[in-house]
Amino acid sequence: MFAAFVQGPIVRLVPVGVVLLALQRTIFVDLRIDGVIIPIMAIAAAATGVAGGSEGGAIAGFVFGLMFDLVEGTPLGSTAAALTIGGAVAGLLALIAADPPWWLAALFTAAGTAAGVVMVPVVRIFIGESEPFEARLGEIVAISAAAGALLSPLLVPLGRWCLRIKKTEWKGAANESASTA
Amino acid sequence: MAIYSVGRRRVVIALLLTSALLLTLDLRGSPIIDRSRDIAARALDPVETAIGVVTTPVSRAWNGIAHYDDVRSENEALQDQLDRLIGTQAAAEAAVIRSQELQALNNLPALADIDTVVATVIGEGASNFDQVVEIDKGRSAGIAVGMPVVNQAGLIGKVTSVTDNSARVMLVTDRQYAVGVSVTSSSEPFDVGATENTTPSGITPDDAADAVSTTTTTTTTPDEGATGGQLPVPDTTLPGGVPGVTTTLSPLEQEALEDLSELSDEELAQLEDDLEAALEIESTTTTTTTEPEPVVVKETGALEGRGGRLLPQIRFVQDSPQFAVLAAGDLVETAGGSESLAPPGIPVGRVANRANRAGSGGPLLDVELHADLDRLNFVRVVLYRPLAEVEQ
Repeated sequence: MFAAFVQGPIVRLVPVGVVLLALQRTIFVDLRIDGVIIPIMAIAAAATGVAGGSEGGAIAGFVFGLMFDLVEGTPLGSTAAALTIGGAVAGLLALIAADPPWWLAALFTAAGTAAGVVMVPVVRIFIGESEPFEARLGEIVAISAAAGALLSPLLVPLGRWCLRIKKTEWKGAANESASTA
Repeated sequence: MAIYSVGRRRVVIALLLTSALLLTLDLRGSPIIDRSRDIAARALDPVETAIGVVTTPVSRAWNGIAHYDDVRSENEALQDQLDRLIGTQAAAEAAVIRSQELQALNNLPALADIDTVVATVIGEGASNFDQVVEIDKGRSAGIAVGMPVVNQAGLIGKVTSVTDNSARVMLVTDRQYAVGVSVTSSSEPFDVGATENTTPSGITPDDAADAVSTTTTTTTTPDEGATGGQLPVPDTTLPGGVPGVTTTLSPLEQEALEDLSELSDEELAQLEDDLEAALEIESTTTTTTTEPEPVVVKETGALEGRGGRLLPQIRFVQDSPQFAVLAAGDLVETAGGSESLAPPGIPVGRVANRANRAGSGGPLLDVELHADLDRLNFVRVVLYRPLAEVEQ
């Protein structure tokens, strides 16, 4: 059990999450685009989903979201649930292509990020918050998704490393699907 | 590449159910989760400090590029404001002293009587959906959840979570924030034009600023040039058709006046001579009683935040045509009350726009806050507990 834990994704996701969370709370609070904070945690969850499928994306989203909730003081589990869905959505979309080119990976990351960001107020409805939807939710989602697309070339490989996916595995899967086609 | 399967779907569902379980535990209040938050905050602190140091040049470069023009124009505006404030400082100090004297005379609770803790803002919320800041004082300084937080300009929010050495402050603009407020105004003649529906609800602050500049307010000051329209200056002129100043005579004085009217001219001349002689050896004091313009509490309602860029709004208010009509320019301050988290009398802002609603809903009042929530450095936590809590 211990060996399974050590070889699992959590061991790498937690330190990466700590660094990303520190970045989220420092530089990304300053680097606002039209007043919108870039949700690096949501983008990382979606990128991990693109790299490792819906399961990997969901696990990464849960871990990153839980860390965010713990430190930010938001209801514990609210961001975790939202980012779990964001990571899973990105992973499901990534099934379209076995080894997506960078631009397709960027699109999938953007879609997963958008799903994660939209789910934050949706989850808050379920916990009884009145009117959790920001008036400029569309702008927030659009900017977050664009930032996700831009950062995906950096974060998809990071997500692959977190999930311990070796190059031979994802290249091999791509070759298999190409030969089947 | 991963292939979608039932097993993978189960993982996603299990994680969502775990989130729901944690949410339930947290919302019911769990000391384990509170302790976990403390530990997580302490564990992240050194990493955050290190990354903050490393990324500071990037942040400064970005701010230099993105906000240079804003900073320059703001600097000019602040210099202008500073010049005006220096001129009004003395008048403000006098007004504060007189206000405290009046409150003491009337046994009213004053904000000056409540202990406060000065804290530094050390971070902003990292979410697009919450308007919060983090301060560097916490439980060890006596801060507790619910306490109001102010700065020099007025109310900025309330404490929502506390660790040993830090606390999170929900800003007035947060959608979950609400506080009881009173809308007050001086008893100046009401300008009908100001009651018109100036701007529909849901405007941005920029739009509101435009609306304010074009809205006629009912507040007037005796010397606009000296005060800049920022602070009310008390009327100290003598009687003679000037409102707000009266001279009172006691019954004895009135009786003496009647006696004087019955004297002959010779007796009056003799009396004047005696009076002049007395004035040479004694100084006399003339006492006049001045009555400042009474402040009218028009209505009390609930101030609610509406998210980052929207002005907070007052709901549950109604006009009282026989007393006063709510209008742009009215002052807003906390109303207090036995269950209110904020004591009465904390200045909040000024009504920027009024949006009329059909039916019995009453008007909605957008409030331009006195405090600039985008630039918070030092704040003051008011160590106030509602009377209802203190009695328990």
